[in-house]
Amino acid sequence: MGYQTTKRQPWRGLLLSLMIAGTGVLAACGGGNNAAETGSGNTPSEQQVSNSGSNPVTISFIHWRGEDAAVLDGIIEDFEAEHPGIKVESQIFPSEQYQAIAQAKLLDGAVGDVFTSFPGTQFEAIARAGLFTDLSDEEFVAQFNPSLIEAGQKDGQQLALPYQLVYNIPIYNVTLFEEQGIEVPSDWEGFLAAAEQLKQAGIVPIAFPGADIGPGQFMNPMVMNNAPDGEIFVKLEAGEAKLTDEWWVTTLEQFKQLNDLEYFQKDALCTKNEAAGALFAQGKAAMLATGSYQLLGNKNNNPELVQGLLAPITVPADQAVYEGIHTTTFMLAINSKTKHPEEARAFLTYLSRSEVASAYANGTGQNVTVNGVEYTSEELQVVEEWTNKNTLFQPRFTITNAEVQRAVLSSIQSVLAGTDPAQAAADAQVIVDQQIGQ
Amino acid sequence: MRRFWRLLPFFLPGLLLYLALFVYLTVTSFYYSLTDWDGLSPSYTVIGLDNYPRVAEDVVFRKAFGNNIKFMLAVVLAQTVISLLLALQLTKQSRLHVALRAFYFVPTILSSVSVGFIWTFVYDPTLGMLNGVLEAMGLSSWNRNWLGNPRIAIFSIAAVQAWAHIGQMVILFVAGLQSIPRELVESARLDGATRLQLFLRVTWPLLAPAAAIVVSYTTIQSFKAFDLVFTMTGGGPAYSTEILSTYIYNSAFMNYTFGRAAAASVFFLALIGLITFLQFRALRTDRISY
Repeated sequence: MGYQTTKRQPWRGLLLSLMIAGTGVLAACGGGNNAAETGSGNTPSEQQVSNSGSNPVTISFIHWRGEDAAVLDGIIEDFEAEHPGIKVESQIFPSEQYQAIAQAKLLDGAVGDVFTSFPGTQFEAIARAGLFTDLSDEEFVAQFNPSLIEAGQKDGQQLALPYQLVYNIPIYNVTLFEEQGIEVPSDWEGFLAAAEQLKQAGIVPIAFPGADIGPGQFMNPMVMNNAPDGEIFVKLEAGEAKLTDEWWVTTLEQFKQLNDLEYFQKDALCTKNEAAGALFAQGKAAMLATGSYQLLGNKNNNPELVQGLLAPITVPADQAVYEGIHTTTFMLAINSKTKHPEEARAFLTYLSRSEVASAYANGTGQNVTVNGVEYTSEELQVVEEWTNKNTLFQPRFTITNAEVQRAVLSSIQSVLAGTDPAQAAADAQVIVDQQIGQ
Repeated sequence: MRRFWRLLPFFLPGLLLYLALFVYLTVTSFYYSLTDWDGLSPSYTVIGLDNYPRVAEDVVFRKAFGNNIKFMLAVVLAQTVISLLLALQLTKQSRLHVALRAFYFVPTILSSVSVGFIWTFVYDPTLGMLNGVLEAMGLSSWNRNWLGNPRIAIFSIAAVQAWAHIGQMVILFVAGLQSIPRELVESARLDGATRLQLFLRVTWPLLAPAAAIVVSYTTIQSFKAFDLVFTMTGGGPAYSTEILSTYIYNSAFMNYTFGRAAAASVFFLALIGLITFLQFRALRTDRISY
């Protein structure tokens, strides 16, 4: 029995191995075909077109706004009805993943004929890789408010069109402020006095999501008047300004002041955005240190909530230059490697129409950069008031090096963890110096 | 030689896969570590070994390295000791012992991302279960900001890593314990060995191969604990939980310095190889004889 086994097994094994290897080779051949097709431009969408002239061209649209999926699906459906020759396939990635994987997806042109980009680091990286199509001469650019699409410009070209307009300043509970007889503060002393009054009333003055988005959001209004130069972080990356300079050390000292006086909730560094949002929506906190993009979510969590936006003014009222922070983001773009530039243009043209942008804005609760949009919801009207105020483009998004940005945010976390502001600034500056090669 | 050709079909498919998925990619990584490629641009420049000193001098890399060593020591110590203690109690083939081994194994089959999210909630200082339980037990002075305090955050994640993999190590230790010849244990007992002597002179030396696997596997796991760190803290607060794998990820995908990330990967590979080699040497599995 044993003899038979040793003699017959190699042949069986050989046959089995050949079968496996053969399957592998066949699979590899299959893969090779696909690769060849992609290389020669026959993406699945193109195959459909080449197979039959009457079949629609499919373009891919990639973005990170999962919460907007239902509204965008409706818009895409209407677009397809109006353009029977074009199908749009949207693919959504979580925002933190999108920063990392979008570029790689765009490289071969297989997906992302139309895509979105964050301003700042991601925009710069995609621009460096030459993946943006220049939109400067496109007619639909005129549909946008010119002052709100600058974040998508580089070297005199309009590479992307920011679609959303958000204000990265704290949301406050209007009812709680009124009950306490607190006016929206216009200087730092007033802000601290309001926070103290709220704390004495047993209300958390500021819900601060220190474990995730809090430092990156709240740093903007905190620094805007300490360094009213909108280019301050550009200068930092150019080696012309330092985090150890007064503007940033003062900002860190003010963060420390808010933390030491317990104006943030307990253990703020461990609080994620959902938990901070819940504190605010439940009326346990009077301010939420995030931005206008959370107005609708808060309202959904507590329909009774009356909300407004306010920014901490960190200097005496007469020295304040800016009233708040704005960001234009969700930047629409066409992949320079797309095989379907005309169809991609048609889709962007459609999204740029005021009635389509209105549907997007009112459906998602986001303000947009397109002209002539009518906002119907209470929350969007709150935000619309801010369009007439003097706001600064989000300073954080002017940082183009991700590690520099992390160093800046880490200095805030260090201070909240107990490090001296000057020391935290010095530690962060060491990282900045290494990154910029000084 | 004939034997080689006869066996070739058996190992060739595996060898090809290994060459394609490991050797080729490792060599490619090494090549990219000699370039300034940003991961996106179609062109790059070969800059020689310049990335290596830059990585070695990088403050963030040094922090990540230090954190990773702390993380590894905590995980290896906790995971090895606890799994060994549990395995010593669960060597029988009784239903209870088998059921308990399966029970301890459950966290291993959960995805690390899920584990990360679950423990983020457990550690939440205000709503989380851990501080709540401590408070209920009258131990509120032990309450901590588990993931928000830079001094303890890395150890909080290390505890989760150990919790998630102890069951797996228990199985390895139980297999090792069950392979120890019963007659050796019995003769030691007849010679009057105490329980401690029995463990130190008989069980532990004969368990060395299993221990070597547990320690080296745990070490490698602790260096690769990217998903847990990423979901729980993202490397913060203030770089206190940044480890080598998150450093490489950030360099490559957030900062677009692929060349530097590849250099850090090569260092990472060499470090794991060196530590594993030293561990095997320290445990001297080759000296075991019956």
